[in-house]
Formats: sequence, C-alpha cells, structure tokens
Amino acid sequence: MQKKHGIYHIFHVKLFKITCYYFKCEVIVFERKKIHRGESIMNIKNATAISNPKKVKKKKLFTKNNIILYIMFLPVLISYIIFHIVPMPGIYLAFADFRVMGFKDIWVGLDNFKYIFNLSNFWDSFWNTWVFVLYNYIFAFPAPILLALLLNELKGKYFKKTIQTISCLPHFLSWVVIASIWISILSPSTGYVNFVIKALGGEPIYFLSKADLFPALLTFIRIWKDVGYNAIVYLAALSSIDQELYEAAHIDGAGRFKQTIYVTLPGIKSTILVLFVLSFSGILNLFDPVYVFQNPMIASTAETLDTYIYKQGVVQARYSMATAVGLFKSVISFVFVILTNVLSKYFTEDRETILW
Amino acid sequence: MKRSRGEKIFNVFNIILMAIFLVVLCVPVLIILRKSFDISNQGIMNLSLLPGEFSLVYYKVVLNDKGIYRPFLNSAYITIVGTALSVLINSMGAYSLSKKDLPGNRYFMYMIIFCMMFSGGLVPSYLLIKNLGLINSLWSLILPGAASGMNIILLRNYYNSIPPSLTESAKIDGAEEYTIFFKIIFPLSAPIVSTIALFSGIAYWNTFFSAILYINDPKKYPFTVKLQEMIIKQQAMQEQLERYGGAANLSNNLDDQGVYSAIIVISTIPIILVYPLLQKHFTKGIMLGSIKG
Repeated sequence: MQKKHGIYHIFHVKLFKITCYYFKCEVIVFERKKIHRGESIMNIKNATAISNPKKVKKKKLFTKNNIILYIMFLPVLISYIIFHIVPMPGIYLAFADFRVMGFKDIWVGLDNFKYIFNLSNFWDSFWNTWVFVLYNYIFAFPAPILLALLLNELKGKYFKKTIQTISCLPHFLSWVVIASIWISILSPSTGYVNFVIKALGGEPIYFLSKADLFPALLTFIRIWKDVGYNAIVYLAALSSIDQELYEAAHIDGAGRFKQTIYVTLPGIKSTILVLFVLSFSGILNLFDPVYVFQNPMIASTAETLDTYIYKQGVVQARYSMATAVGLFKSVISFVFVILTNVLSKYFTEDRETILW
Repeated sequence: MKRSRGEKIFNVFNIILMAIFLVVLCVPVLIILRKSFDISNQGIMNLSLLPGEFSLVYYKVVLNDKGIYRPFLNSAYITIVGTALSVLINSMGAYSLSKKDLPGNRYFMYMIIFCMMFSGGLVPSYLLIKNLGLINSLWSLILPGAASGMNIILLRNYYNSIPPSLTESAKIDGAEEYTIFFKIIFPLSAPIVSTIALFSGIAYWNTFFSAILYINDPKKYPFTVKLQEMIIKQQAMQEQLERYGGAANLSNNLDDQGVYSAIIVISTIPIILVYPLLQKHFTKGIMLGSIKG
C-alpha cells in the first residue's frame, strides 16, 4: 500500500472490512436458515469461525482452574472406580466356577443357573420375598396415607405435632435396635404383650416362633417403624391443597367424608402415584429387617433372596452360585425399574419423576 | 363451619384412634427404658411402666465391660470419620460437577448415574473388599459408602442454584477455585451440607449389613453387630425356656435383658440428641429420594 492515498486508503480499508463483515453475516444468516431447513452445506462451526475468530479457540482441557477442579473431583472418581466399577465385571462369576486365588475360574455357562433353579430353598426364598412385597403393598403402603388423612382431620395443634414428632423417631433407629425392642416385648415368658394376653386370660403366644405369622408381624413392625416418616410427604401434599376447594365443597353440601373422597384424595393423587412408582426401585431389597428377626423356628418364611445370597455367598463361600442368585434378583429388579419408568410416563405429566 | 353429629362422632373416634396409635408407638420404647432401670425381677410381671426398683446397675455393667462398650467406640469412630469424609468428598466432587464448562463433566455424571442403577452385586463387592485386605478393618465400613451419588446430585443442584455473581468478584480478584469453594460456596451451602451430614451420620451409626459382611473380629464390631449377637443369645435362651420351662434360668435371663435394654438405650442416645436438628431437615431428607439425576 502506498502512503499517498492517505485518508482515502484508510477509508477504503474500513469500508472493505465493513462490507466483508456484513457479507459474512449474511452468509451466516443464510447458512443458519439452511440449517434450520435441514439442508446444511457449510458447517455451522466454520461460519461462526469466520465471524468471530475468538470463539474458534478450543476449550482447553488443562487450564489451571480445570486441574484444580479435576483434583477436587478425584476422591469421588477414585472411590467410584474402586468400589463401583471394579466389582461390576465380577458378575461373570455367575457363569463360572469360582476357584481360589491363583487358579483360573472355569467358564460353565448357564450351569449355575440350572443348579439354583433346581434348589427348593432358592424357590422358597424367592416366593417368601414376594410374600413380603405383597404384604408391604397391601398394608404398609396405604398406612402413611391413612395416618396423614387422620392427622389432617385432627383439630388440636399440639396433639398433632406430638404424634408427628414421636412417630418419626423409629425411622432413624437401626433395624437391630428395632428387632431387639420387639423381641423383648414379644417374648413369651417375660414380654409385655404376652403378659397382657395372660392377664386377659389367654394362652401366651410365642410370636417369633410362628412361621405363618412372621410376614404379617414383620409388616406390622415395618409400619410401626416407618409410618410417621412416610406420612410427612403426604402431610406436605395435604397442606398444599387449596382451602377454597373445601369451602366450595361445603357449600355444595358435602360432608367431611365426601370432602375427603372428592377433594383431599384427588389433591394428593399425584403424590401417591409418584411414591408408588418410586417404591418399585428397591422392591426386592430385604436384608436387614428379615435377617435381624431370623431364628431356626421361622426359617421357612424368614428367608428372602437377600439373606439367601448372604448365607450362600459369604457364610458358605459358594461365590458362583450366590452371584447367580444375585444376578437373577437384579434382572427382576431391573424389569421393575423399567416398569417404573413406563408407569411414571403413563401416570404423571410431571416430567421430573421420570428416571430417564 | 357447623358440624353435624356424625362429624362430632368422627372427631372423637379420630382422637381415640390417634391416642391408641400414640400408645402403640411409645409403649415398646417405654418398656425398654423400664427394663434398663429395673433390677427387681418381679417388676417385669406387672403392667406398670415405672421401674419397681430403680437402679443404674445395668448401665454400670455396660460401661465397665470392655466387650460391651468397645462396639460403641467403634460405631462412634465410623460415624465421625465417615461423616466428615463423605461430606468433604461429596461436596468437593459436586462442586466440580456443577461447573458446566468443565470438559468431561457430563461423563462423570453418567458414571455416577450408571453406578446408581447397576452394581456388581454382593459377592463381587465382598471379594473386592477381601482382595483389598479390608476385611476386619473399620475402613471397610467407611470407604464404600463415602461417595454417594444421591448426595452428589443433591449438592450439585444446590450449587447450581447459587447465583454466579457471588463468586465472580472473587474470580476477578484472582482467587483459585479451591479458595472460592472453601471460602464462599461451602459456607453458603450450610443448609444442604448439614442435611447430608445428618442423614449420612445416621446411616453410618446404623451400619449393619456391611458390618456383618466384612467384620469378623469381635474387637472391631460396631454396636449393631454386638446387639445382634445378643439377640441371637436371647432367642436361644427363649427357646430353651419354651422347651424345658427352666425357671432357674429366668432370673439370669432377666439380668441379661437388663443389660441388653441398657445397650439399646445407650445406642439411641446419639440419635435422640440430633433428633431436634434432624426434624428441621425431614422434608429435605425425603426429597433426597424424589430428585432425579
């Protein structure tokens, strides 16, 4: 460029730049429209690159900040890799014959499964688990709803609060503590319950030795432990129902019972459904409550898949077989997780509750 | 609103029902309390909830017997170390995940969600702990549960809700990410951190399943396993009484029951102590389950 052009030159250069910029913008807009119409020729990335050279800079992986952030994440990553990812391939044990360290495991395909499906105590524990699940849904699931409804009808504020405070406490106690409390109370010779029965002229019952009674008893204790805590969600849902609806219902001549049926229950319907669907996720996990009550006399009903896996796998060290039972259990649980998803899509408009 | 007669009847009925519910809730606990204070063996044989002869003997037995108080120390150790560790790890990890421009952050999230849904199962985890040489070490109860996906997701959501303007000025002043985290973000997230600390503390205190899996040495038992041992003893005794009707064993058995009740009472004390704090966080704790990943 020559100096003599002076101002003109600068002007021209600027004009050129402005035109270019304008043109590029047009191109970008054009391209974007095309992309919008689904007929992209030029890559959108190139288009932006022309317009704004600063954005081309690739995201740097290891800036100082990122390194610090990665280091902060490191403990979680390591712990996940060691305790979650590393054991995962261990599922292959279900298809292999486990050998002591140093020897190669032998691949046996589905033999382990054939073996467990022929065991009667496997099927016993399988069906027992379902009995607990069934009792749980028939009795333990509606219990907190009922409690919340009744608490909601109570007028005394302090009475209500006392009940809520006390009923939540057992939830935070360990199952072992719960079991020791109940075993001591249900004891035939020194227990309180049997003392009452004797005082009323009945025969003492040794509750924890009656196998037929155990599922019902355990369900009762589970309700005793969790009902107050589970009612909190329902109480929160109840308090969010519009009070005007009750007034309107009252004007229409609905009594308290009808108000409950037509206003309260529809009001908490979505909460109930969400909790119902979510409760499927750990449906077959039943270790602590059953294990702590186990004794030889009720062994026929107090054995679930989880306790069975523990006994076979850890106590008797039959690793392959226990892994096979565990895999069988996870497959069923997985079916339920999928079912959960389908159900939640079907029942709720609230997208938040869908797992994926 | 005017009330009809039916409603009045219902109200009375409701109050009675709730009172019964309250009794069913309280009586078991009160009986255990009484048993732990009562040294008169006849006291068991009446309906009163007050001890016949008040004494702290059983508590003294518990506190003097090394075999019995040791499990409590183990549980306390697991709870304190475990809670501190898990709060630190989870909140730091969640902070990194809350940075949307951190490369690879999505994949970490996928990993966490994947691990929440699938696991190797009991036996592979047991073999892993065995191969790591953690059997009979209290760390086997602390480490596997320390990083929890649920807590990380919860913390991350909370961090995302903190307005970025709070940290921008610190960034302009040249503060590093860890300074920002420890000086600004961590103090700001006190409500959620305390919720998580409380819930994971209680989970550690109540550790049972992993303890019976990984701990065989009676010196390393947490109190839950010790209690379970006593339950088994108790039930065996019960069965004997049932079969042979040995009245001679009865008073012996009652003494055992006293000690056993004292252990139950002592084990619940920490929970009763944090209970008022917990109550503030109930709803949040429940929402832990309903927030999606």
